[in-house]
Amino acid sequence: MSDAMQFYLSTLLIYLFIDIIGVLGLNLQFGVAGIINFAYIAFVAVGAYTAAVVSLGPDHPDNFQHYLFGANWPFPLPIIAAGVTSGALSLLVGVISLRRLRSDYQAMVMLVLSLIATLVASNASGLVNGPAGLATIPQPLYDQLGLAPLDYQWVYAGWAGFLTVLTFLFVRGITNSPLGRTLRAMRDNDRAAAALGKGIVGLRLMVFVIGGAIAGISGAVFVEFIQAWSPGSWLYPETFVFFAAILVGGTANNWGVMVGTLLVPVGFLEATRYLPEILYRGFVEAMQWVCVGLLILLFLWFRPNGIFPERAARFRPRAAAPTGPANSVAASE
Amino acid sequence: MNQLIPAIGFGLITASILAIAAVGFTLQFSVTNILNLAYGDIMTACAFSAYVANQAGVNIWICLVIAALFGAVFSMLLNRFVYFQFVRRGTKLFGMIIVTIAMSLIIQNVLLAIFRPTFFSYRASPGPSHNFGSMIFTESQLAIMGIAVVAMLGVHLLSTRTKLGKAMRATATNPSLARSCGVATDRVIDVAWLLSGALCGIAGVVIVLNTATFSEVTGANFLVPIIAAAVLGGIGQPYGAMLGAITIGLASEVAASVINPSYKDVVAFGILIVVLLVRPQGILSEVAVAKEVTA
Amino acid sequence: MAAEPEPILAVRDVHRDFGGVKAVDGATFEAMRGHITGLIGPNGAGKSTLVGIIGGQIMPSAGTIIFDGHDITVLAPHKVARRGIVRTFQLSAEFSKLTVLENLMVAAPSQKGESLLGAELGRVYWGRSEDALVDAARAVLDRFGMTPKENELAGNLSGGQKRLLEIMRGLMAEPKMLLLDEPFAGVNPTLALEIEQYLLDLRDEGLSMIMVEHELSVVERLCEPVVVMARGKVISEGSMHDVSSRQEVLDAYLVG
Repeated sequence: MSDAMQFYLSTLLIYLFIDIIGVLGLNLQFGVAGIINFAYIAFVAVGAYTAAVVSLGPDHPDNFQHYLFGANWPFPLPIIAAGVTSGALSLLVGVISLRRLRSDYQAMVMLVLSLIATLVASNASGLVNGPAGLATIPQPLYDQLGLAPLDYQWVYAGWAGFLTVLTFLFVRGITNSPLGRTLRAMRDNDRAAAALGKGIVGLRLMVFVIGGAIAGISGAVFVEFIQAWSPGSWLYPETFVFFAAILVGGTANNWGVMVGTLLVPVGFLEATRYLPEILYRGFVEAMQWVCVGLLILLFLWFRPNGIFPERAARFRPRAAAPTGPANSVAASE
Repeated sequence: MNQLIPAIGFGLITASILAIAAVGFTLQFSVTNILNLAYGDIMTACAFSAYVANQAGVNIWICLVIAALFGAVFSMLLNRFVYFQFVRRGTKLFGMIIVTIAMSLIIQNVLLAIFRPTFFSYRASPGPSHNFGSMIFTESQLAIMGIAVVAMLGVHLLSTRTKLGKAMRATATNPSLARSCGVATDRVIDVAWLLSGALCGIAGVVIVLNTATFSEVTGANFLVPIIAAAVLGGIGQPYGAMLGAITIGLASEVAASVINPSYKDVVAFGILIVVLLVRPQGILSEVAVAKEVTA
Repeated sequence: MAAEPEPILAVRDVHRDFGGVKAVDGATFEAMRGHITGLIGPNGAGKSTLVGIIGGQIMPSAGTIIFDGHDITVLAPHKVARRGIVRTFQLSAEFSKLTVLENLMVAAPSQKGESLLGAELGRVYWGRSEDALVDAARAVLDRFGMTPKENELAGNLSGGQKRLLEIMRGLMAEPKMLLLDEPFAGVNPTLALEIEQYLLDLRDEGLSMIMVEHELSVVERLCEPVVVMARGKVISEGSMHDVSSRQEVLDAYLVG
């Protein structure tokens, strides 16, 4: 395989892992717990910015870019910081918006939040360098490893893959457990779940924070790979690419949403990114977004449960034959 | 002080535009229970419909009427052939929000694909300026405020003085009860979308008249204050939306002149958060609570 | 059962209005331990609002509610449930994408794998209690004749089965009192009779219930005592037989 091909493939693979991490977090919030977080990409962005600034050196007036909290932190501290910061910010946002609001209000507030976050990042120039964004973010252990660029790519892919597996195991630990069952019950009918003694607000907050932390980690892995991050990288429609991946793959099905990620953000968007410009600059990208919108509508219409629908839990077979009324009316309907 | 008075002037204009848009937005929600997040993009589409007519040499005020008609028909068809179809298929609140967002992506990017990524402006002069104390308004800005007042009066008269208005309120409060009382709810819903779409169209044009240029994201960018005004007033409440529009309009323009113009929307959002913390159901909203209970 | 009935729930002078409409306007009554208390009255009498207030879904504007010796007036719904009052809803409230068995299991209080840490510790930690829970849920399914529907998604059940599911699910939450909001609405008559018998059995085992119901013949068969509400107030109490002959009750039903 040529080096160029290897670069391309390893890059795609890294994108796939990063997107899977992000989608798993959103699926936990949306698919499993029923929280519509239209600001998800903003939490990815917070993670990315956090990892970026703490791995960059302290700001200096002569620098070409200006930011807060520059710290030169070594690997793997930036990623941990990203998860913690995004999680903490999720807690703050969650406490404000998830407590008493109806789910459609919540969705609306999240969307607005996403727009506002972009505004703040673009305009507060001393925070994360305003509209130009941050660049020259160091790649983790690049100097220490001393590898050729291509070899480093593959090592990074391995690292991203490792984090993906960890995220998957963590998320599956929740979804396959009694906790996951309670979350799905809350998603299906939160009033009924509360009436059975489930503390809805606490559960929502927990999932919101976990999902936010996962979003932050995915942003960190991304920014340490591409080494640059600006407000244009995380406009609110990016969240809907993740939603599309979930709806296509199968809401609440961890394996399904991973396939959805392979198909939508990686297979469709990345694959068409290198199409030649038709008509004029920006046309292809506009059409991509139209397709994402149509994809969402078509799946909601024809296959609302996605390619791999949520699987019903099966338990070990009965030890003894059922007892009880022989000819009940209830079951015969 | 010499900064404050002109800022209040700007605030009045923003409030006028916002009132037109927010009343339309909230009307769609109250009658059909759909939070139409594509509303901003439909505004943009209407602005473009006026642009096309304007380029063909049509006077801008006639273009305004054209945009209102375009918005009315477009919104009605959008509801009938997309939103309502999903509702009928059993798509829940969750799904409907995603449907409207998907429509938002589609509309915005189809506009982008057709008109290309650049800025547009109407062939219309803002007219001479008039001074009112230290507030300065152009003639077109005065017209915007006039249009807002007329539109709000129209909505008020329609909903209180006509049979249609009563039918609309009945449908908003309890559709199945309204239906069994002989209200043709399908027809009422069509009319509600026509009406709100017309408001959306007018808002789309007046926002451009005020800012002079627009692009495919103009309407979407205006969605934040619209939502803030609608929620502030208690979503689904036209009078609340008017009140919310005035609050948000004045507060954001005054804050913009005092702090930093790019933080207008941040101020709107700040107000929204405070309201949500203190009174999540909005200012005027006992009805919303009752609805919640019976739902 | 003790000769002297002992109150388990006391509702005292509870008020709630919505935008000037007094939905509940000074309601006072007691529900007895081990009895099915019927809550009846014409449309708009405030029964559902009162059930919502007891369940914690609606905050009362004034008044107190004492359950089993504790003031539960301002408790959130899940805390009311943990105190032992489990309610069903007027509109079906099944967890539609969970199986019938899962619907029952989810209701069990304080499961081992329900905390984040517990969940992440995995089956090693919560597996055994989960197995026990499966058995308990299956026993309830067997008792109520729903065994064949064990693996059906709850959303696919018939209207009547969903009502029964809610009752079974409520039992899994280990309640001291069930709050049933029109449990027979939309249930076919044969299944309704079966459910009636189940409720009587549960009562005989000592479970207290409050039941809102429109069908007065059902109330007559199941409920003792009966509380009659009209215009947000309790206007009469007693056995169905006594209550149905009283003038104020007849007036309330006629006026509506």
